[in-house]
Amino acid sequence: MRTPNEIDGPLETPVRFVFPQWSNALLPAVIVMMLVAPIYAALVLTYGLSPVTHNVGYMPTQPIPFSHKIHAGELGLDCRYCHNTVEDAAKAAIPPTQTCMTCHAQVQTQSEALKPLWESYSEGTAIRWQRVHDLPDFVYFNHSAHVERGVGCASCHGRIDQMDVVFQSESLSMGWCLECHRDPEPNLRPLDQVTNLAFDPLVDQSAEARRGLLEGLRITPSEGCSTCHR
Amino acid sequence: MSNLPKPILFALLGTVVVALIPPVLIVRMRTTKHSLPRIHWIQDMDNQGRFRAQHANPMFADGRAMRQPVAGTVARGELRADTHYNHGVVAQAWATTFPRQTRVTPDLLARGQERFVIYCTPCHGASGYGDGLVNQRALAVMGDPTRSKGTSWVEPKSIHDSDILAQPVGQLFNTITNGVRTMGSYESRINVHDRWAIIAYIRELQKREASASADTRGVDRADRKRVGEPDNQNEARQS
Ligand code: HEC
Ligand code: HEC
Ligand code: HEC
Ligand code: HEC
Ligand code: HEC
Ligand code: HEC
Repeated sequence: MRTPNEIDGPLETPVRFVFPQWSNALLPAVIVMMLVAPIYAALVLTYGLSPVTHNVGYMPTQPIPFSHKIHAGELGLDCRYCHNTVEDAAKAAIPPTQTCMTCHAQVQTQSEALKPLWESYSEGTAIRWQRVHDLPDFVYFNHSAHVERGVGCASCHGRIDQMDVVFQSESLSMGWCLECHRDPEPNLRPLDQVTNLAFDPLVDQSAEARRGLLEGLRITPSEGCSTCHR
Repeated sequence: MSNLPKPILFALLGTVVVALIPPVLIVRMRTTKHSLPRIHWIQDMDNQGRFRAQHANPMFADGRAMRQPVAGTVARGELRADTHYNHGVVAQAWATTFPRQTRVTPDLLARGQERFVIYCTPCHGASGYGDGLVNQRALAVMGDPTRSKGTSWVEPKSIHDSDILAQPVGQLFNTITNGVRTMGSYESRINVHDRWAIIAYIRELQKREASASADTRGVDRADRKRVGEPDNQNEARQS
């Protein structure tokens, strides 16, 4: 006689998955990853998408190795000698060839570096300077509104007079504009120091002097959207 | 950990290595200069199909978006019929007086000083002796055969020379407007009002200098120079 068991064979037990021995070692790794991943993602997204990361340090190659360090720094030329529209207009004009020629018609006329300048001069063509600072076209910006109100070039462009090649030193993002529009006082300087990049508004004048400027000139930068988006 | 199967171990290590790439790129972007323009993730209307001041326009032969006025035309407000004010000329001769539009006031002199410091000091020096920083540098460059590269610098004239003292204001105006010999034109950079302001300031400098040198005859030039010096802006910039 056979027992039923013997006839049908042993009862089939369901196959159970057993984690291999080595998987124990993974557990701490998984926990660490779950803790680190959100922090990592947050950091990478904030810094990776930040305008500071993308915009600051942009330094295109220019057709002529023009150096602000020599011209604005060592020769002491005022910014307005070349960017002469900066006080009256929205745009700070890049100087025409003629402006360079006030000196370079005599100075280093045989220089290799100045070949494109002479080409432009004799043929009447424009030198194709590469734009460094470039806001999106839907933003309205105005130099004279800032320069005539005690905001210096250095607040937005950094120490141009120490740069051999111009690079962007601020992010020019909307948050950056608003930061100053909400509290312009730390950036205000006397009107005759606007183009003096060595002047530090926080160090070279007292807090009272800054407040005096704020109140004396009645400076109230607007945060309304239509100020910059018009 | 060491008893992990190879593929799993590599996958783990791979993840860590891949995860390190974005931070490394970010640190690189933030610490070095780069010549690639910014990426516009979302175009929106960042780059619109219009031409802005000083932009290039391939449609025109000279590639400029800003057009020059057609030859022989005069824009409104640019007629400049008042030759005294606009050219410094009265009855075919250099004007000897300031035009009626320009009143010599302390405000005008202050404006003139500011403009003189921007546009003239680099060559002519703070008190006008022709000893500006550009002049010093250009002379140094000319004297150094490795840097000269064809430099033929003519020293700027001192505005205290007797022939300049004798020049009528109209002639000074013409010098700023059209340049003279090796000195370039400043017509496009200094407007008419400011040119007269600069001349008023030059006259003031000449007067101050003449009275100062009358007092200190015999003192050498370097000492006298300090008398007429308007301010130390140029020196301050250097520090
Ligand atoms: C001798 C003439 C000259 C002087 C003086 C001068 N610049 Fe410039 N500047 C130029 C030229 C030419 C360019 C375009 C080439 C370049 O970007 O290097 C330029 C470019 C710039 C740019 C970048 C523009 C862009 O494309 O976004 C800034 C900002 C600037 N200058 C600021 C200054 C400031 C601030 C000063 C005063 C300390 C100054 N410049 C003095 C000639 C001059
Ligand atoms: C006020 C006078 C002045 C003006 C305006 C001026 N420069 Fe210069 N530049 C100089 C002097 C002086 C030097 C020589 C500096 C040195 O080598 O010591 C120089 C040197 C240079 C050099 C280096 C040349 C070489 O071979 O090393 C370049 C490039 C140059 N300038 C470009 C320009 C451009 C472009 C402009 C117009 C935006 C300009 N400069 C306007 C005075 C001037
Ligand atoms: C409040 C900030 C701010 C100040 C102050 C400022 N700039 Fe700018 N500058 C900008 C911005 C923003 C741009 C880019 C404008 C654009 O893309 O339309 C710019 C552009 C420029 C350009 C390129 C041409 C142009 O207008 O687009 C030059 C040259 C320049 N600035 C020179 C100067 C000089 C010289 C001064 C000081 C007298 C100065 N800037 C002060 C923010 C500033
Ligand atoms: C460092 C400080 C500072 C920064 C940065 C700054 N601004 Fe301003 N802005 C001012 C001040 C100060 C005024 C003058 C307010 C007044 O006249 O009462 C002003 C005025 C203006 C005006 C003129 C407002 C009017 O009533 O006509 C515009 C437009 C403007 N800012 C746009 C911008 C934009 C766009 C940016 C960023 C790219 C920017 N600003 C960045 C300080 C700043
Ligand atoms: C002080 C000047 C200023 C003011 C005020 C301002 N903006 Fe902006 N805005 C900017 C600048 C500059 C940018 C471009 C930033 C960039 O992309 O470089 C910008 C970009 C934007 C964008 C596009 C963002 C993108 O990346 O596509 C929007 C949307 C916007 N602003 C909305 C607003 C609204 C809504 C307000 C009013 C609450 C406002 N802005 C006020 C300066 C300003
Ligand atoms: C780039 C250098 C430079 C700058 C900037 C400059 N000058 Fe001159 N200037 C000269 C030179 C060089 C001469 C001498 C020309 C010659 O004799 O060939 C001169 C000569 C003169 C003379 C004498 C003219 C004559 O009839 O003999 C006057 C007046 C004068 N400059 C005024 C000015 C005024 C005003 C400014 C400011 C708007 C100015 N200069 C800016 C270089 C410069």
